Formats: sequence, structure tokens, C-alpha cells
Amino acid sequence: MMFSNKKKIAIDKGLYERLAGIADVGGYSSLDEFIVHILEREAAKFEEAQDEEQVEKQLRGLGYIE
Amino acid sequence: MDLPGQLFAYIGPGAGIALVGSFLVVLAALVSAVFTMLTWPMRRLWRALRGRQALRKAKVKRVVVLGLDGLEPTLTEQYLAEGLLPNLAKLKETGSYHRLGTTWPPLSPVAWSSFATGTNPGKHNIFDFIARDPRTYRPAISSVRIGEPRRRLKLGRYTLPLSKPEIKLLRKSKPFWSVLGESGIFSAILRVPITFPPDRFHGVQLSAMCVPDLLGTQGTFLHYSDQGTAGRTTDEDVGGQQMIVERDGNTVRSYLPGPANPLEAGSEELRIPFTVVAGQGDKDATLKLGGQEVPLPENTYTDWVKFSYKPAPGISMRGISRFYLKQMNGHFSMYSTPLQIDPDRPVMPISHPPVYSSYLSRQQGPFATLGLAEDTWSLSEELMSEDAFLDQAYNIHEERTAMFFDSLTKVRQGMVVCVFDAPDRIQHMFWRFVDEDHPALRGRSNTHGDTIPEMYQRMDDLVGETVERLGEDTALLVMSDHGFKPFRRCVDLNKWLMENGYLKLLGDAAHSDQSYLKQVDWTRTSAYALGLAGIYINLAGRESQGIVAAGEVRDALVAEIVEKLTGLSDPDTNQTAVRQAVARETVYRGPYVDAAPDILVGYNPGYRVSWESAVGKVSAQVLADNKKAWSGDHCIHPEVVPGILFSSLPLESTEANIMDIAPTALEWLGVDKPHYMDGNSLLAPATRETGDSQ
Repeated sequence: MMFSNKKKIAIDKGLYERLAGIADVGGYSSLDEFIVHILEREAAKFEEAQDEEQVEKQLRGLGYIE
Repeated sequence: MDLPGQLFAYIGPGAGIALVGSFLVVLAALVSAVFTMLTWPMRRLWRALRGRQALRKAKVKRVVVLGLDGLEPTLTEQYLAEGLLPNLAKLKETGSYHRLGTTWPPLSPVAWSSFATGTNPGKHNIFDFIARDPRTYRPAISSVRIGEPRRRLKLGRYTLPLSKPEIKLLRKSKPFWSVLGESGIFSAILRVPITFPPDRFHGVQLSAMCVPDLLGTQGTFLHYSDQGTAGRTTDEDVGGQQMIVERDGNTVRSYLPGPANPLEAGSEELRIPFTVVAGQGDKDATLKLGGQEVPLPENTYTDWVKFSYKPAPGISMRGISRFYLKQMNGHFSMYSTPLQIDPDRPVMPISHPPVYSSYLSRQQGPFATLGLAEDTWSLSEELMSEDAFLDQAYNIHEERTAMFFDSLTKVRQGMVVCVFDAPDRIQHMFWRFVDEDHPALRGRSNTHGDTIPEMYQRMDDLVGETVERLGEDTALLVMSDHGFKPFRRCVDLNKWLMENGYLKLLGDAAHSDQSYLKQVDWTRTSAYALGLAGIYINLAGRESQGIVAAGEVRDALVAEIVEKLTGLSDPDTNQTAVRQAVARETVYRGPYVDAAPDILVGYNPGYRVSWESAVGKVSAQVLADNKKAWSGDHCIHPEVVPGILFSSLPLESTEANIMDIAPTALEWLGVDKPHYMDGNSLLAPATRETGDSQ
């Protein structure tokens, strides 16, 4: 799409086909979802946790908890 | 079309501030708008042709889902038997009625995500309102991540965003309206929980649960008074902010608080000053705010009042609120709803396409945009009367009805879904009045015994008005995501874990008032509770200070806790509090199971996780009375809190689960069920496999 907020990454065709089969078996709705899941999981290892005070503020007012 | 001043106006939650727009985004939006206008005739023609093709295998032209969050089957069946629900009775007679199986846990974010995707929670990644970060043991909203723009430009005192902030929906898998869209079928999806930020698909959508207010919270009401101190409205309060006013004769001065200025690093909160001037009578006044003069009669909500913060010249952040003057003479007292995103000029993405919320706002006037829009905390803190709460809930219900009926008029082919929250919020707050033995009612007169029955009748009226608008060739489903039960007794899971040797506090304290597990001694803790769903193991390699080895050791510990906790009895009532605890692997399957609590706890009716345990505190006792106005709940064992399902057309299957709605809608509209969906179409006899969430 002209103004899509997504970028493309090229991968080997053979790997693509292997991953497509795994995504199916793994219960993902698509190969894209599978790859994004793996990338996010790995990226999280290098990223800092969210600021504690900000996170608690985001939860404020949720009726189910005090 | 509203662009500049607004689009790079910003905003976001005070916490995790996020700019919706940037200069580049505004430019892109302008070019996109021109491109859209130029290509509109071709796209219109293409869609007409494709739409005709899209429904060639459909059994009906349109499917409508009317969601009534939390409608309880036993009450529905009782009122049906008493003849109080004639429209639902007609649906049952001409179509069908089932109890609708729900998810582990039976919570709206979890259950509606299973509705949307047709999958068990192991595939959509929403297991509770709250998730936890195993690196820090801290909580987070489970469904959305809001970050700041990654690139900024410093210009003098201002810091301008050059990229969009990250506002990311954490619900995974694919909603069935996206599947319909891929086949060229249009959908209107209104206020289905866990749609913030909105999905991008062939249709329109208005976001719901977890849309924040302008302070970045899930809803902070404001209480203006000339007494007390600024800050929390009460010692226990978590949902309100006390604002101290200055009084000068007949004039009261104060301000609307806002987020910190997102365009100035380290700035103070933004503020909008206002005055309230007493009127001629004893019980009325005028609110003067931003050039507007709004009548303020006592004990009546104003219409939505619009206001605008000014973080920089030419840039505005727009919001809306309703005010409720409780007392002008004597001690001043006024309530304001949480400050909400203005749907006409939204500062965050609350609809798809972005202009849809603006269209609705211009069609019907401003409306509540907050995710959990009905303010339950002001009633819990006794700063709002029961009747004022009901006024607010039904005002929102009427707004929702108007947009739903607009969709029924405009979308003649395809899918329409609208979820109404009033049944859930009203039952949470008024269950004490239909439960004579409730601790929250002891010592009080039963002033609102009719509220819940009347609510069911109002929902039945809504069903009747909906049916009148359907016409031929439409299938209607009326459903709830879970039922409701009393919440009389609290179960402190953390205290239970402590008494059984699984959790230790620093300094061997007996209890902890510190929220979010801050006083837990992780070097000696093997399991802990956070949120409404269950218990996590302090797992080595996953939790940053985990001490339990993965594999057999972890599995044995899970089995041990499950066995000990199942059947936990309450010595004060001689009842069984915990109906069943289960290992997550027995109820979930899919790629996201690792994010779920290791153990899920299913309570019997009357019980729920304690307020303290849900936020990682440890109270003095495992079992205690729930004396809050929040007196009904559904975070219990899913077997005892199913939802309801009425269909205007007969359904073949005799057992129905919330995961089945998506495949059923797809089959009605002639689209094959995708391979990843766990639910089955209800147009065929049941063939459910075991091992799903239900």
C-alpha cells in the first residue's frame, strides 16, 4: 500500500516454505504472524522494560482492580 | 476533512505519551486524501462488482450480532419464564436459544477476543486484563502497548515528533471481519472489546475496551470540592482525582488537569482553567470554560462539553467531558467524568478509517470514547449516587444504540456487530440489591432491587427495536460473552501461597500493602499471583529472578498447587471457594500459551480473587468479605458462568461456545472457515474436539 506502515524483509524461498508449514501447524493465522511473533520475542531481549510509574498509571481506573 | 492543527496535535496517555501525528504523517495524510478522492469512482465500481461476487455462496445477505456484555442465562431464563422479555421470547420461539460456553477465564477481553478470532486464548494472546513482564514482575495492560515516537526534532523549547508513536494491539491471530474483508465482504464493528488500536480491514470499526482517557489511564474521574486535600479522592481510591477549588463569593475557580505537554520535555501538566458561577436560584450555576457558558443545574449531567489543550501555538488536543454539579451553596461539590478523547477530532486512533469516529460524532453528536466508559469507581467511592451512575450508563447506552441503528441502516449487506456494556457494568455495581445476603448490602436498605430486572427489560426492548430494522435475508445473533454471579467473598491467592510456603515477603513480613509484588522476596518465592486469572511460577530463565527449574520440576510444582488449591474451603461459610484450579496446558493450545498464567483458578459462585491479590498485595487473611459496591462478578469458573445465545434462525448444534460465532458468521456469509480457528459453525451438528478453552 502506498502509505502502509509496514516494511518488507526478503528471506530465502526455501526458508519461506519451511516456515509456512510450521506456521500452519503452530496455530498461527498466517506466516506473517508467525514471523512477527518470533522477531518480537527476540527483540524484547534487547529492549528495556517500560517505565514502572507509567505502566501503573495506565492501569489506573480499571474497575476490576484497586 | 480535519487535518493539520489536529493531526499533529498530539496526544496520548500521560503515561507512555504518544504522538498520533507528526509533520511527515500530516503530509502523508494529505497526499493520501488526494489520492483517495481521485481514485474513488474506480474503487467504488470495483467494490460493487466484487461485493456482488463476494456473497454468491452466502446463505443470508447480512449477519447482525447484538452483544449484551455479561447477560446472565439464569436471570434471562427466569425473566423469560415470567414473561418480562417478550422480544427474546419471540426469537427463541422462531429461532433458537442456547447457553454459550465461554473462555478460561470468563473475562470480557479474553472472551471477546475468542469471539473475534474464533480461537482459544492460546492463539490470540489475551489471558486477562493484566499481563506481567517477567523481567520486572510489573503489570501492564494486556491488550495494547503505547510507546513514544522514536524520532524527534528539537526546535527551541519544543520537541517535535518526526515519526508515529507505537500504539500496538497485542491481540494476535486474525479477526473474522478481516477474513470477510479478504473475500470482499464489508463489516461494521462497533465497540467490540480489544479493538484498540483499530483493525485495518474492509469495513468500519469503533474501538472499545482499553481506549485510554486524556490522562493516559483507564478512566480517572475528577471530584471538585472546597474541602479536603488534592490528590486521591479517598485513602483507598484508585480511580479518581480530588481537585481543590478556590471560592470567592458566588464564583468557584479551578481547572481541568491534562497530560504533561508532549512537545516540551520535562514540562508540567497542561491545564484548562474554568469558573463556576452561582445562578439566581439555590440549585443552579453556570460553567464557564474555554469561551463556553454551560448551564449547570444541580444533580443533572451536562451535555458533553468540548475543550482543548494547547501544547504549542496552532496545536490543540481536544477532549470531552460531562459535568455533574452535586452542590453549589454551602460546600461546593462537582463531578466530572474521565476526560475523554473527542471522537470528532481524535488525538489517538480510535476508529477505522480514522474519519469514522468523526462521521459518527457529526451524525449523532459527541459520545463516550473511553474503553470502559461507565465510571464505576465514583460509585464505589460513594462520590456518585446509584441513580447518577445509572443515568450515565444509560446515556452511553443511548449513544451506542444510535450508532448501531445507523450501521443497520447503512450496511445492508455483510456483517454488523455492536457490543453494549450497560448489562456488565450495572450488574457489577447493583448485584448486591438482588442478593439479600450480600456483605455490601448489610446494614443498608435495598433501594434498587428493580434495577437489574429493569435493565434486562431495556435490553429486551433493544432487541425488539433491532428486529424491526432487520428486514429479509438477515441472520441475527443476540449474545453475551459470559454470565454473572454474586461476588461476596474475596480469595487472596498471594496470602494462600504464603501460608503454603510458596511465597515469602522481604523481612518475613506477614502481609504487604505495597502493590505489584514490590515486597516479595524473589529469592525464596516459587509462585505468585497477579491479575484476575491465576498464578505464575517464578520460573528460572523466564522470570528475571526465577528459582524454579523449567521442565519436570516446574510441572510437578504446578500439579502440586493445582491439587492443593482445588476444593479450597471457606470455614466462615462452609462452602467450597475454589471449584477447580487447572494447569494452563490443559485448557490452552497455541503459540502464545507461554504468556498465560501457569495455573488458572476457577472459583465457585460467590467468590473471586481478592482486590489485594489482583494487584500483587498480600492481605492479612486468605478469605474475607467483599463490602464494595462492585458486588457482582464473573471472573470465576467458566462452567458456572456461561453467556447466552439467541438466534433468529435455527441452529443445528446443541452445544455452543463463543469461539463458534466466527465460523458461524463466515458460513452464513459463504466464506470457508480458516484452518487456525478452533470454533465450529453452529449450522452443523456439534463436532467439538476436547482440549480447547472449553
